Amino acid sequence: MDLNFFITTCIGTIAFAIAAPILGCLISGFDRIISARMQGRVGPKLLQPYWDVRKLLGKDKVAVSGSEDTYINLALFFSLLAGGLFFSGGNFLLVVFVITLSSLFFIVAAYSTRSPYAEIGAARETLQVMSYEPMILFMAVAFYQVVGTFDVSGVFLLSQPVICTAWAVFLGLLFVLTIKLRKSPFDISSSHHAHQEIVKGITTEMSGPTLAKVEVMHWVENVLFMAWVGVFFVYSNPISIVIAIVAVILIYFFEIWVDNNFARVKWQAMLKWAWIVALLAGGLNVAFLAFF
Amino acid sequence: MAFCMRGVRNLELIGFLILFPLLAAVILLFIKNDSARKVVVGASAAIIAIASLALVIGNLSTPPIYYEFDSQIVEIICVAISIAIGLVVLWFAYKYKNILAGVLAAIQLVGSLIFDFAFAPNVHVAQGLYLDSLSVMMTFIIGIIGSGICFYALGYMKDHVEHHPDEEDRRPLFFFLMFLFLSAMYVIVFSNNMVWMFTGWEVTTLCSFLLIGYTKTDEAIANSFRQIVMNIAGGIGFLIALFYCAGTMNTLSFIEFIQLGLSAPAVISLPVCALAFAGITKAAQMPFHSWLLGAMVAPTPTSALLHSSTMVKAGVFLLVKLAPLFAIATAPAVMVVLVGGITFALASFMAISQSNAKRVLAYSTIANLGLIVACAGVGTPEAVWAAMFLILFHAAAKSLLFLCVGTAEHHIGSRDIEDMDLLFERMPQLARNMMIGIMIMFIAPFGMLISKWATLVSFVDNHQVALIILLAFGSAATFMFWAKWLGKLSGVAGQPANVETTVHKTEWVAIYLMTVLALIFCIGLPLISSTVVMPYINGVYGYTMTALDTDILALMSILSIAVIVLLLAGTTGASSKRKVDAYLAGISVSNADRSFRNSLSQETRATVRNMYLADTFGEERITPVAEISTTLIIIGSFAAALATVISML
Repeated sequence: MDLNFFITTCIGTIAFAIAAPILGCLISGFDRIISARMQGRVGPKLLQPYWDVRKLLGKDKVAVSGSEDTYINLALFFSLLAGGLFFSGGNFLLVVFVITLSSLFFIVAAYSTRSPYAEIGAARETLQVMSYEPMILFMAVAFYQVVGTFDVSGVFLLSQPVICTAWAVFLGLLFVLTIKLRKSPFDISSSHHAHQEIVKGITTEMSGPTLAKVEVMHWVENVLFMAWVGVFFVYSNPISIVIAIVAVILIYFFEIWVDNNFARVKWQAMLKWAWIVALLAGGLNVAFLAFF
Repeated sequence: MAFCMRGVRNLELIGFLILFPLLAAVILLFIKNDSARKVVVGASAAIIAIASLALVIGNLSTPPIYYEFDSQIVEIICVAISIAIGLVVLWFAYKYKNILAGVLAAIQLVGSLIFDFAFAPNVHVAQGLYLDSLSVMMTFIIGIIGSGICFYALGYMKDHVEHHPDEEDRRPLFFFLMFLFLSAMYVIVFSNNMVWMFTGWEVTTLCSFLLIGYTKTDEAIANSFRQIVMNIAGGIGFLIALFYCAGTMNTLSFIEFIQLGLSAPAVISLPVCALAFAGITKAAQMPFHSWLLGAMVAPTPTSALLHSSTMVKAGVFLLVKLAPLFAIATAPAVMVVLVGGITFALASFMAISQSNAKRVLAYSTIANLGLIVACAGVGTPEAVWAAMFLILFHAAAKSLLFLCVGTAEHHIGSRDIEDMDLLFERMPQLARNMMIGIMIMFIAPFGMLISKWATLVSFVDNHQVALIILLAFGSAATFMFWAKWLGKLSGVAGQPANVETTVHKTEWVAIYLMTVLALIFCIGLPLISSTVVMPYINGVYGYTMTALDTDILALMSILSIAVIVLLLAGTTGASSKRKVDAYLAGISVSNADRSFRNSLSQETRATVRNMYLADTFGEERITPVAEISTTLIIIGSFAAALATVISML
């Protein structure tokens, strides 16, 4: 067994646990400002998400279920571990599985409250996972086919970025990214607007410090998912990292635009389109990479 | 000399493992007294477990060993058994007027007799028995998990008899069949003589038939005939392969058959297709999956033992044995790969639409067997690695889940997942065991997901694009049906009465045994890989190759421990937070009932059900697609294999 692997993973996770919430908080701040401008409003200050979480941390500690907090802690921990594995150059597929584990604990946390609203939200969240999972698997498979290893660090040895031969998979990823970022039209398990038919959906019964952890988890996830986008542009040339960052910014801007311009769809439409896109963009790209 | 001694001791242990359960079975057939039965079952289960463990521990990392063993008496017994099986099925077919079963049983009986008297005597198999790491692994599953389930059945069947006072107490027959079955399984995994293997195979079919029909209700009888028809069809496939082997290849030694096949793939195309067909029916692959769904009417220990952890594994065991041949013989490989892959995806889809827990488990079993079948069809060392781990983890986790559902059913009066609401408080220990079982089935860092991961890598490395696609969509569905069940179990509200105090001790012992085993497998994954799975692959292929690094396996092992410890410690309900009621659009009356006072000051009860998506993933929609596509694939492969044979003439 290689001790280095464990040390790298631990250091990566700790570094990610410090850096990702800061970055994710800033992304969230910009997101809210840009969204407001698109809607003709001024919007909050850049650090508003930070103050929101600070305020949540100071609230009373109340809970419907005694287990909820444990599940949320596990969800947060595994999202940090997934980020740590990714940024320390670890196995891409493992990152996917660990973030899925995190989603599962988030879902179980909502179920554990037995609130009807939270249960519907949790059920819809499982539908969301089921919708994006095939495309995410195809992404990891295509990455492996192009790079020759599942290790993220492998991209630094490439002579051209992954997107050159896996552009269809990249487009498929963009489609399901909207689900992963919990943006409209696919924000069906919970949205930023509390007036939908299931109250606040999956987070209905989460409050105070627990909700603060959920917010931080979303920041962290957003950083990780945007890094998945960025990795498609990185290769042996160091300048590619700059290109990747620019690409990530543009894509995120695009996601905000989508969020503000599309109405929420029903789950049937989400599942159908996410799977069709996965089959066409993912399946065909993987087939092409396998045989040519 | 040391090697020699080990060889002799092994042979004795193998003989013991085959004969002892048989002895126990016969004794149990004549015991009517419950406490005497308890002693005999308990002692026999313990002895079988210890003997199996001795064989496993003594043969870790063993290369394949073939034993010179050949006996006229065994040959005669095999003939007698096949005649007896034929007559029993014919008698039941006559009694219940089932023409199809009667015709098939007659064909098989006549076929067996012709084979036994005209073909078999001309072929001599010197090495009748063998031992390799795959049989070692199967010994562990049969000996430890299997006897654990028999022990569980003591308490379960007692409740069963009390819940069905109008039925005759037929427990002697029940335990006779369970132990007879264990003996037959050992015959399958240790026999190199294909005739002996076939005899064990047919005995398991018969045990399953009789156990499905155990309660003698109309439904049970109909389902048992569905099972026997499909499995005799598979058995006839096996018999065709035997005729071909004895007639044209002049061997009935399994290892010789495989070695001959490796040097001349075209020759074995047809018998491998026939054997694969037998494996597919036994492993309940589409279009034959409906027998396993029907088998769920049998008492739950039967479902756990025969229909998830062992008998259906005999089907995939045979296919994994044939894996090196699938790597070179196209016609049977296409059949096995596609049938397995399609079964995995479509059975996973249909599992979403089920709220009956046993049906969910049945569909999940069919799906996982499909994945193992597909791995065997790919036939590379990587794929076989994945297949073996799928067999091992599935055996432990699925039997755990069956036992949990069985116990829950006897105490909450339902096997519907919707009725398992609040099980976390009503049956706290059981719910936790069940949740661990579910998590091991589908999520990282636990065993089944690691095996699936290895499966995916082996598919990618072999450019099996169709399988990658089927795996991706099937796995997504897997997440859905397990996650919603897990969620249902996790609900907490108030303090409903604990109803698990009356669960029998034997049930607890078996349930905890399965949980501990499943967790040991997860934690010990790197070790199992190096001492059992790798030696098998090395013995078959002469080299080893894995899809996953040791580092990853070690990390998963550590994370498994972490998740379980954190979960169990964190969900005791002892929280420093102030408890409040869930939001219910009014003033809460009772959180456990989810009732609240509405705007007209009346009491309203909020209800919520999980999503079953029947319009999208319902059985009516998917079953025809499944049956037609897989039937066409099987017919096409047989046609291709026949064409190969004809072109050689």
